[in-house]
Amino acid sequence: MENRPLEYDYTVAKMFMFTTIVLGIVGMLIGVILAFQLAFPSVNTILGEGLAEYTNFSRLRPLHTDAVIFGFTLSGIFATWYYVGQRVLKVSMAESGLLMFLGKLHFWLYLIVVAAVVVTLFMGITTSKEYAEFEWPIDIAVVVVWVLWGMGLFGLIGIRREKSLYISIWYYIATFLGIAMLYLFNNMEIPTYFASGGIGSWWHSVSMYAGTNDALVQWWYGHNAVAFGFTVPIVAMIYYFLPKESGQAIYSYKLSLLSFWGLMFVYLWAGGHHLLYSTVPDWMQTMGSIFSVILILPSWGSAINMLLTMKGEWQQVAASPLIKFMILASTFYMFSTLEGPIQAIKSVNAIAHFTDWIVGHVHDGVLGWVGFMIMASLFHMAPRVFKREIYSKSLMATQFWIQTLGVVLYFTSMWIAGITQGMMWRAHDEFGNLAYSFIDTVTVLHPYYTIRGVGGLLYLVGFLMFAYNIYKTMSARPVEESELQNASPMGA
Amino acid sequence: MFHWLEKHPFFFAVGVFVTIAFAGLIEILPNFAQASRPVIGTAPYSTLELAGRHVYIKNSCNACHSQLVRPFKSETDRYGHYSLSGEYAYDRPFLWGSKRTGPDLMRVGNYRTTDWHENHMKDPASVVPGSIMPAYKWMFTNNADVDTAYAEQLTVANAFSVPYNEPVPMKDGSTKIVKMGKNLAEARALALAEAKEIVADMKDQDVKDAVARGEIPEIVAIIAYMNSLK
Amino acid sequence: MNKLYLWGIIFAAVMLLLTYLSVGGSEGGLNDDIVNMLAVAGAVALVIITVFVVIKYVRQMQTDTADGELVDHSWDGIGEYKNSVPMGWAIMFLGTMIWGMWYFTIGYPVNAYSQIGEYNEDTKAHNEKFEAKYADITGERLVDMGESVFLAECKVCHGLQADGIDGKAANLNVRLEEKVVKHAIINGANNHLLGTEMPMPDRNGLFNANTNEMITDAEIDLVSKYVANGMTGAGADVFEGVCASCHGADGKGMEYVAPNIAEFTPELVVNVLNHGKKGAIGAMPKFDKLNDKQKEAVGAYITSISSK
Ligand code: HEC
Ligand code: HEC
Ligand code: HEC
Ligand code: HEM
Ligand code: HEM
Ligand SMILES: [Ca+2]
Ligand SMILES: [Ca+2]
Ligand SMILES: [Cu+2]
Repeated sequence: MENRPLEYDYTVAKMFMFTTIVLGIVGMLIGVILAFQLAFPSVNTILGEGLAEYTNFSRLRPLHTDAVIFGFTLSGIFATWYYVGQRVLKVSMAESGLLMFLGKLHFWLYLIVVAAVVVTLFMGITTSKEYAEFEWPIDIAVVVVWVLWGMGLFGLIGIRREKSLYISIWYYIATFLGIAMLYLFNNMEIPTYFASGGIGSWWHSVSMYAGTNDALVQWWYGHNAVAFGFTVPIVAMIYYFLPKESGQAIYSYKLSLLSFWGLMFVYLWAGGHHLLYSTVPDWMQTMGSIFSVILILPSWGSAINMLLTMKGEWQQVAASPLIKFMILASTFYMFSTLEGPIQAIKSVNAIAHFTDWIVGHVHDGVLGWVGFMIMASLFHMAPRVFKREIYSKSLMATQFWIQTLGVVLYFTSMWIAGITQGMMWRAHDEFGNLAYSFIDTVTVLHPYYTIRGVGGLLYLVGFLMFAYNIYKTMSARPVEESELQNASPMGA
Repeated sequence: MFHWLEKHPFFFAVGVFVTIAFAGLIEILPNFAQASRPVIGTAPYSTLELAGRHVYIKNSCNACHSQLVRPFKSETDRYGHYSLSGEYAYDRPFLWGSKRTGPDLMRVGNYRTTDWHENHMKDPASVVPGSIMPAYKWMFTNNADVDTAYAEQLTVANAFSVPYNEPVPMKDGSTKIVKMGKNLAEARALALAEAKEIVADMKDQDVKDAVARGEIPEIVAIIAYMNSLK
Repeated sequence: MNKLYLWGIIFAAVMLLLTYLSVGGSEGGLNDDIVNMLAVAGAVALVIITVFVVIKYVRQMQTDTADGELVDHSWDGIGEYKNSVPMGWAIMFLGTMIWGMWYFTIGYPVNAYSQIGEYNEDTKAHNEKFEAKYADITGERLVDMGESVFLAECKVCHGLQADGIDGKAANLNVRLEEKVVKHAIINGANNHLLGTEMPMPDRNGLFNANTNEMITDAEIDLVSKYVANGMTGAGADVFEGVCASCHGADGKGMEYVAPNIAEFTPELVVNVLNHGKKGAIGAMPKFDKLNDKQKEAVGAYITSISSK
């Protein structure tokens, strides 16, 4: 049985690769628009006064976050799952008609939900909770999509040939369970139309929790949505794609083991760092701070494991833009998982909270870590999935440098903007009066907002190069007979 | 043990679930009962205020504005008394926000007025040069959804015993009754009556005419909400 | 020196420079504020630690070689070494876990920290420091202090130039604008300008002692212009006949009877701040969040700009 390589079936993976790219472009384009709206408010009416209701910053912002999180990132997670899952479990989707059907259903329902989200957010139908904006009908659809994924995931595991689960699979399982638990509890809401006997909008709902309680549940969710959306599944990716691409063995199984269980245990406690100096009890805030600091180690554990996997392989790093993406992703992962804990220290948070320093932290994570890893994964997958060599290596290298510059401009400008504004808010003058009115602390940020916009634009340009490269790979390269082996084969 | 778990996905999943689930139990639950008690002086939202709150949410004002005054001298100087847990007892959802691109609005009703909001929402930079807040001109023509606000009032009154039509204690020892209509028609009438008080201080003739006709433009509702934030 | 270290140092230096510049962006820099200092220290630590830890591992890519015992299994061709965990990492993980548990069970309960307690202390210290200073703030310094309050609190409505931004709020460079006077005469006024409830009657209560008749439309126009022009020009006779009995012949008001309408006084401004004002232009909120000295100061400032 083991003699002939399995023919894996990448149909569903391909579908999700497609949405990863399309929704990535949409989400990042909106991000760039947002960035320029803050630098130049006239961009709010970019399509004219008449459409300003739909194009202004406040309508678009949730669209950006949801498009990049639930569109780009989640598609990337699904795409890699439908690729990695089969391979490390040594079982093909083609072997089970049921799994194939579930996979396709998963994709199409997902696409319907995405469409519903786009339409409703444009209309202003939102519950306002960050990263949980959807109203209850969409929540239900989301749960169905999630259950479908779970059935596919555990179904595939159920019929696996590889008895012991590879590290990446641990992380995919955790992603599934974590999000399921968080999403359910944070979206407990009562539809008012039914509760009032048919009055008002049918889609409107009211949260089951009020005030401080609602905040607690929301940030228990919000923080861990980051954990199980931007960290856990991305770690799953790097544990597969880096060793696979480089041909190196994982540096230490024990380190992966401790990092995994450490991460699972510690992450959930840290959510309190979003509520520092709020009205939640002091001890919960303190727990949030403490566990954030502890969290550095399980996070860095995975990153170090990856860097050490490349021990002695400098020539690969130098030669392959794909490996460069992954090494830099690990680096940004380390950076943001040290930055987060530092911002979680109460006194530092006193400055950082509510400012652009947080936005900077967010984006060195999502652009440098999440974005880089997803693109790297797709770059690795493309030659295998399409059985064609990557269209252009030099384009890939150029993209790498453009995007790196973009990320650096983004987070450095927000770093300065945040610290500047945080300190200006606190400043008293020689008479003991507030030194600045609020607007003074807004106008100083203009240059930084402009730089951020440029950085974001560079990143978007890089992403378009990525999309083009993949598109050309699909369409312009000759088909290879058998699966391309080892490191990603590159064209000119 | 771990090797065994890695060969038994079901138990692996159970292990992961238990590991991630109990932090929530320990950290979140203990606060629940206490935080739901309102402090004295906190009253539920009236129909019009709630409709305004929906306008606020619809436009994601919370993307730029927080509603949480932290206990720092610099914040209490700027915004007023620091926030107390019970002040949010009727906030579903909470609107603390996580980014202050604009100032905190927790107590904006204390230091801004109807006519100022009117000018500001129409064109922020005209009153605050250099403002990067978008203009919300369409709020002057779109009508607020009073019905849904009323549906929400009914829902929270039934499900969470929010005290409508009941006296709630105020800081000065008096009591206040926030009225909720017995039926939709009455709720609409109550909201309109409130709206009339607001437009009396406004300048925009079209909005005044609309209210005179019995409509409630979004701007009126959102100003009612802003004024209620104290 | 290895190129990596060079790049690391350059990057760290640039980040530190940027941080330094952003601190300089705020009045008084760190301001002796422990929170500011910790934030900057955190930023510095973040850059330095990340850069040099990452370089340490990247150096191993350049110099070391992979070794160790492989587990006798591979997943899709991926092997795993049985290497033990890096010692430094293991110790720090264990150490922080123990620290966390200690803090949770002993550290925190014993040193119970209260953020409100801290706020109260900070506020007390701040107030004591400035109350001690306030006694010496008089005259020109008081006006400067008032300007600082004005720029932080009032300019969003009255404008940087205190000109009321095209009639959106009162123009504080002049005592009164014509339409405000007219409005007060026609509708009366009840804004606690004297600090107490002391209304001015509307036009039906304004009797012209010179003509022995109620004030007329023409007279209203005339006297409004007269007052708005700083009590000059035509209309002095109407003022004499109608208004002087309360506001005084010079318009400077009478204690307990009517406010000064010839010029701003600090007391008048303080009364506006204590009670707010609603009139021809719009509504002015009251300002509970200012302390008495700040109100006095901004009163002095407005008095000074309007008398220039
Ligand atoms: C792009 C960010 C942004 C959005 C979105 C936004 N604002 Fe603002 N807001 C600002 C900024 C910046 C200021 C400070 C400058 C000014 O006063 O215009 C401000 C000021 C305000 C103020 C004055 C508060 C004070 O203390 O001076 C109010 C009230 C306000 N906004 C309400 C709203 C409402 C209601 C919405 C949504 C319908 C909204 N804002 C949406 C950025 C925003
Ligand atoms: C019966 C006494 C009385 C008479 C007569 C009177 N006033 Fe007044 N006036 C007052 C009082 C009292 C106030 C303060 C009302 C308040 O607190 O708002 C006042 C307020 C005003 C104000 C408002 C000042 C501001 O800062 O907005 C103006 C303007 C004014 N008076 C002008 C006049 C003029 C002009 C006349 C004559 C045509 C006149 N008053 C006659 C008692 C009087
Ligand atoms: C929300 C807007 C707003 C703010 C903030 C504001 N004002 Fe005003 N203020 C007004 C308006 C509107 C008027 C005009 C009221 C009228 O007469 O119609 C006014 C009037 C005044 C007057 C004139 C009173 C008179 O008798 O003519 C004074 C004095 C004044 N403001 C001082 C201040 C000071 C000092 C501050 C800051 C500490 C301040 N204002 C902040 C809106 C504001
Ligand atoms: C050790 C790990 C981490 C810790 C302890 C941490 C801590 C923090 C803290 C303290 C905040 C700011 C809360 C506030 O004051 O508003 C924050 C915000 C945020 N972080 Fe992290 N962070 C970590 C890793 C990451 C990573 C790897 C990512 C993404 C890839 C990320 C994404 C975010 C996002 C999206 C927010 C914004 C949340 C909001 O909307 O307010 N974090 N984090
Ligand atoms: C082209 C690149 C991008 C640009 C220019 C950009 C720009 C922005 C802007 C301007 C904001 C709003 C910040 C504010 O309110 O002040 C934002 C928020 C956010 N973006 Fe992006 N973005 C980009 C890519 C991404 C990607 C790829 C992701 C995720 C994978 C992402 C995730 C987020 C998140 C989570 C927030 C919310 C942060 C918070 O609430 O603290 N962004 N982005
Ligand atoms: Ca929801
Ligand atoms: Ca946020
Ligand atoms: Cu978090």
